Amino acid sequence: MELNRLHLSNRNLNLVLLAILVTVCVYVTPGYLAMRRPDALRQGPGVTRIAHLSDWFADIKGTAGDTDVYILDSGKPGGSALILGGTHANEPAGYMAAILMLENAVPLQGRLYIIPHANASALTYTDPMEGVPREFTLQASSGKRVFRHGSRATSPMHQWPDPDIYVHASSGQQLSGSETRNLNRAYPGRADGNFTERIAYAITSLIRKDGIDLTIDLHEAAPEYPVINAIVAHERAMPTASGAILNLEIEGVVMGLEPSPATLRGLSHRELGDSTATLALLMESPNATQGRLRGRTDEALILTGKDSQYVRGQKLGRLFVPYDEKGWPLHLRVARHVGGLQAIFTAHAMNAPERSIVLGGVPTYDELATKGLEPFL
Amino acid sequence: MRQAAPIVCTLLLLGAGTAKAQGFNLKAPIATQPTLVTGVGQSADIEMVKVLLNRGKVVFKADPQAKAGALAATGSKSLVLVIGGSSKGLGAAGISAEVDIERAKGLVAEARKLGLKIIGLHVGGEGRRGQMSDKFITGAVPLCDYVIVVATGNKDGLFNQLCGKGRIPLDSVEKIANAGAPLLKAFK
Ligand SMILES: [Zn+2]
Repeated sequence: MELNRLHLSNRNLNLVLLAILVTVCVYVTPGYLAMRRPDALRQGPGVTRIAHLSDWFADIKGTAGDTDVYILDSGKPGGSALILGGTHANEPAGYMAAILMLENAVPLQGRLYIIPHANASALTYTDPMEGVPREFTLQASSGKRVFRHGSRATSPMHQWPDPDIYVHASSGQQLSGSETRNLNRAYPGRADGNFTERIAYAITSLIRKDGIDLTIDLHEAAPEYPVINAIVAHERAMPTASGAILNLEIEGVVMGLEPSPATLRGLSHRELGDSTATLALLMESPNATQGRLRGRTDEALILTGKDSQYVRGQKLGRLFVPYDEKGWPLHLRVARHVGGLQAIFTAHAMNAPERSIVLGGVPTYDELATKGLEPFL
Repeated sequence: MRQAAPIVCTLLLLGAGTAKAQGFNLKAPIATQPTLVTGVGQSADIEMVKVLLNRGKVVFKADPQAKAGALAATGSKSLVLVIGGSSKGLGAAGISAEVDIERAKGLVAEARKLGLKIIGLHVGGEGRRGQMSDKFITGAVPLCDYVIVVATGNKDGLFNQLCGKGRIPLDSVEKIANAGAPLLKAFK
């Protein structure tokens, strides 16, 4: 009798728990699925064509790895450049700089390719246990704009399971299993590889087939990470990178120079430089939202970079960038990327005038730093 | 480019103008072209100095790890030392700080034998100071005929001290871009 009663109450408890679980699922699913809806990007005055990455590698057509490629063709002779945003979808200054370029730039010489979300799958979810918001909002001149904020790597919904050890295909380099889904460890990629390697392969194919002169991969890093506020350059891209840094210094923007390590494999600046003719560069800006020292992780942190723990970290000498109460706001990080891109194009044009890429319509570093992103989106 | 290059050039010239107005401590050109650029400490700063030389149309060869034995064969008529340590750079080259300092000293000795003038540059600022970089600075600066430093790297006056209070002419500039003007003036 007593046993029976206990049994019943257990059953009731189970039913209650199940009901709570179903309610939670019903409540969160629309938000989760909403992350699969692409952000509405404005087609800028310079965009002459919107292609798909699968145009260069048909195997990814119809998959979550396919993504838009914006082409801005001046119709005049010159060089070509590819801007990669969103290689890591939790590094918003990277893809916001790419978006700002595609919505504003007007090509005057040469051709510009922009992939704002290089790993589109990584933008469809947030990292579990990190408490990072899945979007942020800007009151832009064109109206309210909502942008997604994703993860570092391909969604496990699209590539699963991870092996214990990730072996980079062409070098045999071994990394932790989760790096299997990191686009910036997958280059140059493989046509018959995993989901992420096939995205990398599609990007490599674009660079090869269209003879891209310059490839710039836009990233962010935690303020406690040693390579930051810097351009990382393949050895062939060194004259371009060092020239750009000098151009930026004249404008009052301090940027470091980091040679691409020959032994660190799978990264865009190493593999694209080694396996294609492109000059491969990567830029990093400081992002507290990715950092391990951060406190409350909300939309404000994404937009302002203000974090008392990072101010403390700076005082303790633990950071590789200056950090004070003013934080590192998103618009300043984007300004560094956009100013960096223009400085790279200028340096490239000085080194190879017949391969110049000249853009009008792009706000300067100072304009972005003082006015913010809103007037340009 | 069409828009930016003239701006950049104008700014470079303005930089040169300001420096000229202040007057450099090096009064007459000392070095002959072509020059050989090498690193002392294997930092990426050598890339910045290459841009300055390129933009100034100085004829040069660059070898971050140039060795004494190979100097004569390069046909170089002067030597530029880019001073500042990078543990990453040394690691990539697979050498220790001590080995690099010894190489640089041997190279300088050979350059002296061949009658070449030696220009030292420290352009890495504050970030290229500290225990490791200072080894290269104290080792290489006293061996130079002329030294240019970006000011933030000389807040403690180490370069003035090493240059023997005027024994070796020393010029200080605010930015790397400003180092171009005195560097070009050092060449005949
Ligand atoms: Zn990244």
